[in-house]
Amino acid sequence: MKQDVFTLEIIKDSLVAVGEEMFNAMIRTSMSPIIYETTDFAVGATDAAGNLLAQGNGVTAFLATLDTAVQSTLEHYPGEDDVRPGDIFITNSPYEGGGTHLSDVVIVYPVFHDDRLIAWTVNKAHWTEVGGSHAGSVSTEATEIYQEGLHFRFLKLYDEGRLNQSLVSMIRDNVRLPDSTIGDMYAGVAACKVGAKRILDLVSKYGESAVLSAMTGLLDYGERMTLAELKKLPQGVFEAEDIVEEDGHGNGPFRIKVKVTIDGGRMVADFTGTDPQVNGPINCSYTGLVTGARCAFKAVTNTEIPANGGCFRALEVVCPPGTLISAESPAPVSIYYEALIAAIEVMWKALAPHMPEKLPAGHQRTVGATFISGPHPDTGELFVMGEPLLGGWGASAGLDGDNGQFCCANGETFNIPVELAESRYGFEIDQYAFHNEDGGEGEFRGGKGVVLDYRITAEEAFLTYSATRTTTRPWAMDGGEEGSTNAAWHIRKDGTRERYTMATAVRARKGETFRMISATGGGYGEPAARPREYVLSDLKNGYITPEQAERHYGVTG
Amino acid sequence: MQSRRKRAATDVGGTFTDLVYYEVDPETGRPGAIRAAKSDTTPPEFERGVMNVMEKANVDPASLDFFAHGSTVVINALTERKGARTALITTRGFRDVLEIARGNRPDLFNFNFRKPAPFVERHLRAELTERANHKGETVRDVELSELPEILDYFRKEGVEAIAIAFLHAYLAPENERKTLAAIRDQWPEVSVLASHEISREWREYERTNTTVLSAYVHPAAKKYIERLEGRLRQHGFERDPYMMQSNGGITGAEAAKANPVAMVESGPASGIYAAAYMGRAIGKENLIVLDIGGTTAKCALVENGKVKISTDYYIERTPQNPGYPIQTPVVDIVEIGNGGGSIAWVDEGGKLHVGPQSAGASPGPAAYGRGGSKATTTDANLLLGRIDPKSFVGGEVEPDWRAVKDAFGALSERLKLSVEDVARGVVRIANANMVNALRLVSTNKGHDPRDFSLIAFGGGGAMHAVSLAEELNVPEVIVPVNSAVFSAWGMLLTDLRRDYVRTRPTPLHADFRNDIARAFSKMRDRACVDFTGEVGDCSDLKFNYLADMRYQGQEHTVKVDLPPNGDGGPDMAAAAERFHELHEQRFTYRLDAPIQIVNFHLAAFAPVDKPDLAEKAVTGRKIEDAHITRREVDFDSGGVVEADIYNGLKMEPGMTLTGPAVVQEPAVTLVIPPGKRLSVDKFGNYRIQISAKESGQ
Repeated sequence: MKQDVFTLEIIKDSLVAVGEEMFNAMIRTSMSPIIYETTDFAVGATDAAGNLLAQGNGVTAFLATLDTAVQSTLEHYPGEDDVRPGDIFITNSPYEGGGTHLSDVVIVYPVFHDDRLIAWTVNKAHWTEVGGSHAGSVSTEATEIYQEGLHFRFLKLYDEGRLNQSLVSMIRDNVRLPDSTIGDMYAGVAACKVGAKRILDLVSKYGESAVLSAMTGLLDYGERMTLAELKKLPQGVFEAEDIVEEDGHGNGPFRIKVKVTIDGGRMVADFTGTDPQVNGPINCSYTGLVTGARCAFKAVTNTEIPANGGCFRALEVVCPPGTLISAESPAPVSIYYEALIAAIEVMWKALAPHMPEKLPAGHQRTVGATFISGPHPDTGELFVMGEPLLGGWGASAGLDGDNGQFCCANGETFNIPVELAESRYGFEIDQYAFHNEDGGEGEFRGGKGVVLDYRITAEEAFLTYSATRTTTRPWAMDGGEEGSTNAAWHIRKDGTRERYTMATAVRARKGETFRMISATGGGYGEPAARPREYVLSDLKNGYITPEQAERHYGVTG
Repeated sequence: MQSRRKRAATDVGGTFTDLVYYEVDPETGRPGAIRAAKSDTTPPEFERGVMNVMEKANVDPASLDFFAHGSTVVINALTERKGARTALITTRGFRDVLEIARGNRPDLFNFNFRKPAPFVERHLRAELTERANHKGETVRDVELSELPEILDYFRKEGVEAIAIAFLHAYLAPENERKTLAAIRDQWPEVSVLASHEISREWREYERTNTTVLSAYVHPAAKKYIERLEGRLRQHGFERDPYMMQSNGGITGAEAAKANPVAMVESGPASGIYAAAYMGRAIGKENLIVLDIGGTTAKCALVENGKVKISTDYYIERTPQNPGYPIQTPVVDIVEIGNGGGSIAWVDEGGKLHVGPQSAGASPGPAAYGRGGSKATTTDANLLLGRIDPKSFVGGEVEPDWRAVKDAFGALSERLKLSVEDVARGVVRIANANMVNALRLVSTNKGHDPRDFSLIAFGGGGAMHAVSLAEELNVPEVIVPVNSAVFSAWGMLLTDLRRDYVRTRPTPLHADFRNDIARAFSKMRDRACVDFTGEVGDCSDLKFNYLADMRYQGQEHTVKVDLPPNGDGGPDMAAAAERFHELHEQRFTYRLDAPIQIVNFHLAAFAPVDKPDLAEKAVTGRKIEDAHITRREVDFDSGGVVEADIYNGLKMEPGMTLTGPAVVQEPAVTLVIPPGKRLSVDKFGNYRIQISAKESGQ
């Protein structure tokens, strides 16, 4: 039976491939651009107990949402016969397993072989609409979750194969784009079925016991790979704190705090000391926090091996309930990702000085979610443009920061080409370029932030925008300078202008400009230590001005 | 003695330069047998290798009626960063588009990620005041008074090539044309390309990058083609050589020089076209195509005899790296880092991997004895008895067993398994990797493998094909005649081809029937101009009418045939129905929504006269005459058994055999597990029956 080692390896690889196949199936089946273009979803499989086997991701921000959704499902349905073949569950509850905000809906699908529960397949995706007070179910204005849309807590969408028609009708009647929303729902079910079929194919080819033992082997392998890396890291206690500026209602700033302990093959991330949950919708639930901690954990251990539950056995996440990053009902959460990113980055900030080869200085730290809507100048029909913004990443030991990249919660996320955007929406873009604001100077300099000018060609248009790092700046390392800040500007034809950091429906008229500016990342090392030829090269390339070269680096061209 | 007229093709690969040729009987016009030769590739003067291989095979350029050529010169210049010092001129406000790119980070959890560096540094990215809009209107004429200062700077900086790329130039190229003319006037020696000559599709980053990469390789490619033309002429070749393109067609030397990046995937493209051609000849129009080389395996799909072409092509893209887009028509290929030279290694968690690192041609697999110390897939096949040690690398290399044992010894110690078990594991994992890639082009795009045949070529194709077909439930494997030089052979079968792709969002609606007809007729007119001098008359051209369509408001497109009726306009209802069907196949659903054309795509062909495929001669030999010996071969799950070994060169149409067996040719090893049945068809192709065809539901 010696050869079985490789059979198990191939089953393990096939289980990992289940995540990728479900990912492709979701892209194939979905009718919503936010799913197939922004890839704002995750799919994957767990074992019968809810241990993550494989996950297909477009963004990092769903890393702890699939396995915890299964675990919470099992808590809601603890009895032996509570979960039956043909059942499919649905949840978007932010405050339990799988939770982020109401827009991200989880479909949970038990996989049975001969009436035995052997695995689960799971899909979590950003639905275009789940109702609530604002179109798109996201705003900076909510004060309670009840304004943010429909809330499903681990309901049976299918009961032994029968669709829960009442539930579907209720969804259909409470959302603004029912066809799209129901389409997203079926796409999620279809992706789960693809995953379940692949697992059952493996069982029929290799036998149930081989597949189950491959599952165990896969988790153990993830743990071994992670432990090998964890042991190479500096051991000790590392602390950091940071600020989230505001909650959308003018309250703030709020403190976010972490103590990371790395000791003998374990990492504990303790967020005790973080401020309580807030009135505005920037609260993040504990599940979101676990995702954030897992992202940072993965960034310092092994970034390449496929994520599974075994990889995270060595990680413990501690946070008392009711904080900004462990919010409880009925806290509004629709812009939870800004607090989530802050949680990832504060952990990164605690660890970076000790692992400079793995972690750079601070980055723009915001999705910078930008929505512009209005009547299209050619057709008069409503257009809605939504995109995240690129910004500057921090410098690291030996490398300048990356210029113009999406934040750490994104990933396989693409900007909208100027030529496409201008043909679809009521604006023209006058520049899409790196800016020259001060910030990020160092022996290695922070990556450049971006300036993007939308000049409105519609009769009027409205901007909804939210960002952090609007008064605080991306942090530097080892004597470098902090980066710059994020903001949106409304610029009128007469040159008068207003700055916005969190805003809903700012109005501009035809010919006026919304200028989006993203932060430049933090610098690494003393600016004086930057080699003269690098400064001259920056000068030649226009990354800095002659005045900045002289003021920051003492170099005259 | 006056030599007989011949047709020849040469394919310059990373290691070898292949020649394929045949004679044409002047009386009957019938083709003679296909012959092939190989010699070493000779960088950087690749044309030397081309002349060498012709000399080796005694092919006199003066005797050629037709000469087609494919080379890796473009892809090499790109991947080795050995192109020209290149500058970019773009619309004011947008010089950073080339560096911003699309902002994606495929290596999701790597927070120390850096995007790949653009091919033009920022100080060489100049801006001109100009603007067009999305309706194709030039709203601001280009300010050419700004140009002299820019060119002065470029000269001072030693710039050798310039790319011009303005916003919306895919619709409104006027400002690019003016700038191009002004640069040619003010600086005639510099290489200069404008984006509208390279791509007429939207997405400014992709189009700009494509133009930049084409400019980057332009001086080297132009010089190379000119040197080759010179050498051929010197040896008496009186016609123009044809250059293989990534779209699977050939083009004249002048056109190739004008947009060299279109040659980027010429080798793989011609192999896939050859597969489609062979498929049509034997009545197998649905093919999964697999080309296994030394470093990579390439997969593609042929459906209803048609090869899929797309402009969604990247170089250097990996699961960790976004790579660089090249918006040029390229055969739709999935490529993975799994070939004969792929290295087997064990990670810290004790897991065995194969690839993507490769031992390449140098040092090559351990068995080559050129200093390679890592175990590769080829070494594993040798250990398992699948490759005949006596005819290793065409019998030219004595396997270095000591190096092989050392390489596998290290793995066997690490995994605590016998050397044989490790070798089996290496082959199994390599196969599993390839099966995943084959799924990407088939099941993941809504195709059922049971409706296809697997056609396998390249150095490792025949070795792995049968196992892969079993895994995928493909009912038949075809290992084509000439499979070791299949890409070069394909160049003899191809036609002159140009693809025209134009982004022009248009509703698929009766009101726009005339616009659709006009879009195609403009492209036809353009084709007539472009083919001048290559064909006698416009009426010799053949066209495929295609369009990339989507549901209004959606992003995904599918490519749909949109042929004109007698009156020149398309059959709208038929096109809509085809779109709905293809969309449902690809994306699982159809919508009751308006359909929109995004890109018009005209493929224009000038058919090249070529004789029919030659049948392989039948001399009445018996299968026993081809039998060489018996030896122990490890078939993994099929056990270690005595297998019959046959000399493929002595096999002829009508012969059959049943595994366990291995069919050997100098550069082909075809492994047939116990019970599988092989037959030779009239062209000399090996056909292996995997299973009775089940219905594809």
